[in-house]
Amino acid sequence: MNPAGATRQIYWNISHIWAMYVLLLPAIAIFAYGFYRQIKRWRRGTPAARFDQPLTRFKLVFTHALAQRRTARNTYAGVFHRFISYGFVILTIATTVVALDADFGTAIMRGHFYLYFQSLTVDLFGALVLVGVGLAAARRYISRTKTLVYTDEATWILVLIAFICLQGFLLEGWRIAATNDPWASYSPIGNLIARVSRPLLSDAALQGAHRFTWWFHLLLSFGVLAWFPYTKMMHIATAPLNIYTAQLAPLGASLKHIDFEKTESFGVNSLAAFTWKDLLDLDACTECGRCTAVCPAHTVGKELSPRDIVLGLRDLMRNDGLTSSPAIIGSIPATSPVALWQCTTCVACMEACPVFIEQMPKIVDMRRYLVMEEAEFPESMQQAITSLEKRGHPFSGTNATRVDWADGLDVKHINDVRDAEVLLWVGCGGALIERNQKVTRATAQLLNQAGVKFAILGRDEKCSGDPARRIGNEFLFEMLAKDNVENLNKHHVKKVVTSCPHCFNAFRNEYPHFGGNFEVYHHSEYLAQLVKEGKLKSISATNKKVTFHDPCYLGRQNGVYDSPRQLVQIASKGAAIEMARSREKSFCCGGGGGMSFVDEPPDKRVNQERAREALATGADVLAVGCPFCMTMMEDGINARRGDQEMRVMDVAELLWEASSSSD
Amino acid sequence: MNDVVICLVNPAAFDRAAQGLAGCGRRLAEQTGSQLKAIVRSPQSPTVAQDAARVVDEVVVLDQGDYQPETALSALGQVCRQLSPNAVLFGNDTYSQEITPRLAHRLGGSAVGDVVDITVHENALRVTRQVYGGKAQAVIELKRSPAVLWTRSRSFAPAKQLSEPGKHTELSLDLPADTPTRIIERKRELQTEQRLEEARVIVSGGRGIGGPEPFNDELKPLAEILGAQLAASRAACDAGWVPPTFQVGQTGKKVTPDLYLAIAITGASQHMAGISEAKNIAAINTDPDAPIFKHCRFGIVEDYRKVVPLLRQKLIALQNSQR
Amino acid sequence: MNILVCLKQILDPEIPAREFRVDPAKREAERGNANLVTNIFCENALETALQFREASGEAKITVLSFGAASAEDSLRKALAMKADAAALVINDKSSNPDPLTVAQVLATAIRKLGSFDLVMLGREAGDWGAGQTAGLLAEELGLPCVSFVDRIEQMEGGLRMKRQTDSGWEVLETQPPVVVSITNDEHNVPRIPKVRDVMMSYRQPLTQWTLAELGYDTEDSQYYEVIELSIPQTESRCEFVSGDTLDERVESLARRITEVTSAL
Repeated sequence: MNPAGATRQIYWNISHIWAMYVLLLPAIAIFAYGFYRQIKRWRRGTPAARFDQPLTRFKLVFTHALAQRRTARNTYAGVFHRFISYGFVILTIATTVVALDADFGTAIMRGHFYLYFQSLTVDLFGALVLVGVGLAAARRYISRTKTLVYTDEATWILVLIAFICLQGFLLEGWRIAATNDPWASYSPIGNLIARVSRPLLSDAALQGAHRFTWWFHLLLSFGVLAWFPYTKMMHIATAPLNIYTAQLAPLGASLKHIDFEKTESFGVNSLAAFTWKDLLDLDACTECGRCTAVCPAHTVGKELSPRDIVLGLRDLMRNDGLTSSPAIIGSIPATSPVALWQCTTCVACMEACPVFIEQMPKIVDMRRYLVMEEAEFPESMQQAITSLEKRGHPFSGTNATRVDWADGLDVKHINDVRDAEVLLWVGCGGALIERNQKVTRATAQLLNQAGVKFAILGRDEKCSGDPARRIGNEFLFEMLAKDNVENLNKHHVKKVVTSCPHCFNAFRNEYPHFGGNFEVYHHSEYLAQLVKEGKLKSISATNKKVTFHDPCYLGRQNGVYDSPRQLVQIASKGAAIEMARSREKSFCCGGGGGMSFVDEPPDKRVNQERAREALATGADVLAVGCPFCMTMMEDGINARRGDQEMRVMDVAELLWEASSSSD
Repeated sequence: MNDVVICLVNPAAFDRAAQGLAGCGRRLAEQTGSQLKAIVRSPQSPTVAQDAARVVDEVVVLDQGDYQPETALSALGQVCRQLSPNAVLFGNDTYSQEITPRLAHRLGGSAVGDVVDITVHENALRVTRQVYGGKAQAVIELKRSPAVLWTRSRSFAPAKQLSEPGKHTELSLDLPADTPTRIIERKRELQTEQRLEEARVIVSGGRGIGGPEPFNDELKPLAEILGAQLAASRAACDAGWVPPTFQVGQTGKKVTPDLYLAIAITGASQHMAGISEAKNIAAINTDPDAPIFKHCRFGIVEDYRKVVPLLRQKLIALQNSQR
Repeated sequence: MNILVCLKQILDPEIPAREFRVDPAKREAERGNANLVTNIFCENALETALQFREASGEAKITVLSFGAASAEDSLRKALAMKADAAALVINDKSSNPDPLTVAQVLATAIRKLGSFDLVMLGREAGDWGAGQTAGLLAEELGLPCVSFVDRIEQMEGGLRMKRQTDSGWEVLETQPPVVVSITNDEHNVPRIPKVRDVMMSYRQPLTQWTLAELGYDTEDSQYYEVIELSIPQTESRCEFVSGDTLDERVESLARRITEVTSAL
């Protein structure tokens, strides 16, 4: 037979087609209403500017919604999700083609297109959908993966998808059997069903079964269509939208600014105080649970669960939360202050989220309310804040001055240096914590050795404000930031080098808002560059095995992974041993978000969990690049090491030991 | 007229503090060529006046019963007006501290507290005291008379015994019965109930202790001998050797003892942040480079296991010899 | 109830010892890099007043300070903590007024501000630590005085207070008006004001007087004069106990320890 004429009769065996159109109307209405309601809810949020740089945004959507790159980080999930989603894309195209041919007089499903696409491809992808659902169901009901959300809705969705797909194959198979379709071999699965059914069912039975199943299939499909926007299936629409409107700035720039003059309430304790983007986030969640799975607080057994915060707020929103405006903090266990105060602001949650939800800023928004509107927050953090207000640093009780570390070194104050190339921003940790003073010394000595003309602010340095900002006192942060920007601009500072990733992040991502536009380098970046330029020579690299812990504020939040590793490589004759959770997957040391000022329960310490992982590498040295990591990891290693020896050293110290002649 | 008067308010005994006070008073009296008198208000035992009389020229005993702030103040005011002294000296107990400024005001004199030395300079009295949280020392000249001072009496040498005991006078005064302020309840707290933040002596253990048993077997008996509270660094608490309430440091308690004995503690800044206002820090540590030694008044580089049992013996011996 | 709380603004007492300097001519500490803070015991007093108001239902709290113009910041912070009114007497005369001068100035201002049932002060200031002002102020005002109080409650016909002593504590009953000096306790840690209240506090009215406007003449009011202020040269080196044998060294250690503890 001539393949050019290949096709099938669209409504074979079906009459009263008008009923289909009639049923379609309410389905579409309910579907549209669902969409409308969601969009209306989002619009109640406060403004957010998320429509700039469309080209970049479209690329993101392509990579993450179409190619589903993040989803596929879990290979298993990536496989079944692509099977199901791509399968449905194909099925949707196919159905559209049928509708066009049926209602608009086109003749698309003919010939080779009909055979190779409408029949073969569609069959294969339909089969992939079934395989995908099977794999998904196995994970959900056999392996019982803990981070998933187990609801009846989830079960029903899987069941319905599978059933509708299966119905499709049955319809195809029974049609093929009853009509003796000459092109049956192009529909392998339909063909198989036809072969199996023919001996079991008479023609009349086939037709009857087909007709029944056709209308059942229609009802189910229309039902699912109507139900769609009220379930997590909506992520098919909201996820691409959420990805399009995602934050384009580095993760370190995730927090929002507050206009203190105009804002009526500081921080968030009601849904309407969130931005529309925050509310969209809530509806984009696919309940995958990866954020909670990577959350360091959750990993060590604490209550914090980013997934539950998102879903809890979503449910609140769907239950009239925007109109009745209840307080959201503490309304559900997930948003209880206990949980909120466990966050280290590491943003592993945001990095893991396949649909780019911003969990951490919502936590900080709620912290802002607790701190600035209620003044209710953990006592140890209160001490840090009070110390910041009174002394410009968070370490109450310290007896160190900001210049003690420079004793005996050739280090000049910016007032005494003309044309300094670089400002060495020491930071509170680097100046006032004894262990970290050694890191500052190593950095300064390396800069001197390389002949870099640098200056420090000495006693004029004030905290960058990062701890205040993360704890939620945005007001104090602004004051400190403005003071620092003014101070640096007064001295015409252009380049800043700092060994603290928190300061690094503040200067790079947060200070431009206050008129501070500086070239900011982490000390590892600057030192690596000096080595590259031949200004620092390594004399004796150590034989020791070194593993490197990526600081959250340097790596995941700002994309700097390689320069500290370069320093390890230079200083230790070999590449850094990588822990399983490294680079953007690095597991927090537990010190960020104000948590280094808090005493955690002894059996739930984030730093000890990371220490366990570091010790398991068998390395002699754990290299770090942050004063908080230094403190937390030394404590953690000390608690967990037993008889094993492991030194914790900053990458600058490693380099200094290798570069300096021993005395 | 122009004598030096020491005041003992509700003393239980003529103890070391009282002896030091008398010594201070006697020194001043000799410098000004005057007599030393003592006012003993409501002594809790008759031996107080007797012991006082061995070292002062006249003892005036005021029997007033329990201490009530307003009546005690009025009584002392009356007696001092009668005696018309140059200086009225008190010890550093609570009652003395609260009486000092008010008595000075009533007598039209000058009040200074926490005095560690008194000298005479061209007919004016000068006192020395620590200021600015112990960071500085001030010499203050008093412009009005009498000088009413409370002193760190225990740090003065006791007065020498007189060849003949001083005069003994009993006084009862006519005072209004009803005062606006009444103490209705008093409680002496046992040492162990005292809060770490209020402890005057602390024995603290760190990571180098090595385990929970030595806290109980070695450090606790040492603390008992010194009348001290036990504390620990974060490392020891983290390791579960002692409860978290023992923790002293940046994220623990901030303490202000007169003596902080740091045993096997490295002395990192976070720990030092909790003891920055300790007046004396001493350390026992095997590492001569441990940062703690930079903050110590005195210390010993040695394994605490060798030092502490021996130290306990020696402390007991010294305490016995002082009795 | 009308409550008055006195506040003193001082140089941050927690500046590192290395950075602490005195001006021997002026006989006071040098400002240096230190920030100005409210004396902690004064904040404890304010916190006690605020808690008293919360428990008893109704009280007006006025805060008063005698100091440099910068003391306004301390008063604003008190307003942010929800004190009701604030007054500042600007010290434009003597550089380091002695406790009697301070008490007299405060008394004059207090009389001008109205009549108070409870006048509260910190037990001492973190700079000079004289600890005399409360008692002197009580005498100036002709009021009884209770010292080292850490808790106050209202009761039938008066006030019940708990105060700390060197061996424990005492409970006293008294009737207003009374002057009270407050000491620190785990319950009167000063509250952190809400940011909005901090912002609003700068818009609230604040009474301000110079000494002349107050009608107070500081001539000849001092009852003492600081002759000398110095930083004692302490050996920052640790004295490693002397002795050849372990026994001798531990003996030295025991002696040094006993020296310190016997002076207590």
